Amino acid sequence: MNNFNKFKELIRKELLILLRDRQTILLLFLMPVALIFFMSVALEGVWTDKVTGRKIQMVVENESDAPKANLLAEKIKSNKLIQHVDRPQGMDNDQIFERGKVQAIVTIPQGFDEGEKPVEIYFDPVIDAGYKIAARSLLTSLTVEVVMGIDNLETVIAGLIIEKKKPNMDFPSPLQQTVPAYAIFAMFFIAIPMSIGFLKEKNDGTLQRLFTYPVNANLIVLGKIIPYYLINLTQFVLMLLVGVYVMSHIISFSFQLGNHPWHMLPVTLVVAAATTGFGVLVAALARTPEQSSTLAATGAILMGVFGGVMVPHVVMPLAMKKMAMISPMYWAHQAYLDIFLRDAAFGTILPKLIVLTLFAGMCFYIAGRRIKWM
Amino acid sequence: MKALEVTGINFSYGLPTGKVNNTSNGTGQEYVLKDFSLSVISGQFHALLGPNGAGKTTLMRIITGQLMVKSGAVKIYGSQMSDQNALRSIGYAPQPISLYPTLTAKENLRFFGTMAGLSEGEIIERSENVLEETGLSSYALKYVNTYSGGMLRRLNLAVALLHSPKLLLLDEPTVGVDPQSRNHIYQTLAKLNESGVTILLSTHIMEDAQRLCSRVTLVDQGKDIFSGDMAGIDNLEKFFLEKTGHGLRDE
Repeated sequence: MNNFNKFKELIRKELLILLRDRQTILLLFLMPVALIFFMSVALEGVWTDKVTGRKIQMVVENESDAPKANLLAEKIKSNKLIQHVDRPQGMDNDQIFERGKVQAIVTIPQGFDEGEKPVEIYFDPVIDAGYKIAARSLLTSLTVEVVMGIDNLETVIAGLIIEKKKPNMDFPSPLQQTVPAYAIFAMFFIAIPMSIGFLKEKNDGTLQRLFTYPVNANLIVLGKIIPYYLINLTQFVLMLLVGVYVMSHIISFSFQLGNHPWHMLPVTLVVAAATTGFGVLVAALARTPEQSSTLAATGAILMGVFGGVMVPHVVMPLAMKKMAMISPMYWAHQAYLDIFLRDAAFGTILPKLIVLTLFAGMCFYIAGRRIKWM
Repeated sequence: MKALEVTGINFSYGLPTGKVNNTSNGTGQEYVLKDFSLSVISGQFHALLGPNGAGKTTLMRIITGQLMVKSGAVKIYGSQMSDQNALRSIGYAPQPISLYPTLTAKENLRFFGTMAGLSEGEIIERSENVLEETGLSSYALKYVNTYSGGMLRRLNLAVALLHSPKLLLLDEPTVGVDPQSRNHIYQTLAKLNESGVTILLSTHIMEDAQRLCSRVTLVDQGKDIFSGDMAGIDNLEKFFLEKTGHGLRDE
């Protein structure tokens, strides 16, 4: 009972100190919420359907007055996925793109009807390849309709190819990526207050003073780790609630938990172990609070960059995708994507949890060897 | 009865000095304390004096179980350090202010009281007592980071007194405080000693040591260079300088 009281008080003290530090609260709770919001909005184009997700702003110029050319120009201008923009007076293509309000300029040349000259498309050089492919595909369909005399190619193709997906599963929204990504990112940032707190106590002598009391050393260690572990779990739950109930209303993206939401429990418990392990490791390696905050922040950001948190794993080149595997954030993020997007069985998630457990174990082991309590 | 018994301890921090001499442990590391022994009788007010870097703080940290020694022993009221009984018997006010700045005085006391094994009721009662003794009752709910230097010193002492220890170990408890706070601290200590608490006081203020303490131990270069009754010393500062020399010391 006495030990339990001591343990409770160790946790209470740690939480009081942590929760009274406004900067830490901002870092651990508000930073990920802000990142989820802004990154979801910013990354909309990566996950939404390139064509149906947003209208293409396009200048359409018909240099021919032939029937097919006129029909194509009309089809392009009236297509619901295209927003026709008139060419501003006296501007060439480069100047139009510099204004940033047009993504493509389509020119139907004289001789199109006769098959002598093809339709010309100029794209804004800064638009991404996926968007370019989608826009070109749409224009190709419309051109084929006109040239082949087909009324609605989309309907014809729909009879030939159909995309199958799991029931009740919408197209993945940016929130499906950003909520777990920035929850994990923020969880790794726990290393900053954790290591700073430890080093401050060591430097001001409170930790040494604690060892002059009849308290088991293991209890002191646990009393320093458990509060941060609990904060980590709270962070994840809060980010999940923000994703499900707040962000989906503010930025109109849906967030789905998948068919096995209970898988989140073991994943989150293991991810929190990995993040607190990282915190303990930083505390053991750094000598001053300043050093520890630099080490923890740099480590977390690098793991985020490599691990598919800051730059989505799906858009990385193959070499980077392989390198991502060195980051524990990659394994954590993929485990959550297994739950939220892939509806994966627990057997698929398990290897990722093993990697994270090994990472946590390695951190605690090295920290245990390196840490100097006095 | 012996409140504290330190026998034959050798200690080095493991910092290589590059030379091996009679103060070295043979691995090129200089001893901070060499074959050091000390006895403090129960009820005594014992001064531990020495120049900077003499080994006083290291000795305090060994006595309180923060540093482990490979040879020698520390016993508190007959219990080996760091037995639970030994730890329960001591109250330690370290030289640095070792408090949690973003907790209030009461929260600090509650924390250290729980670590000492006090019950909720005991903590409440003892907190009120020690806050009154140290003149901090009206600041009990203020965050420690709003305290002045003197108040911090007094709270540092209050934490050490909270669990009513039989042996109080004080490492320069009046560093950086004004004469009023210093006087208040020493009055509190004198009362405690009168009530039977044994005190080992490390200080650089010779006149305070001479006024309060009945026995003195002089430490220099990790060795006990004098142990005896204060009564036999006319001028402690002069005696100190005679024993330790007039040369300046590095930490």
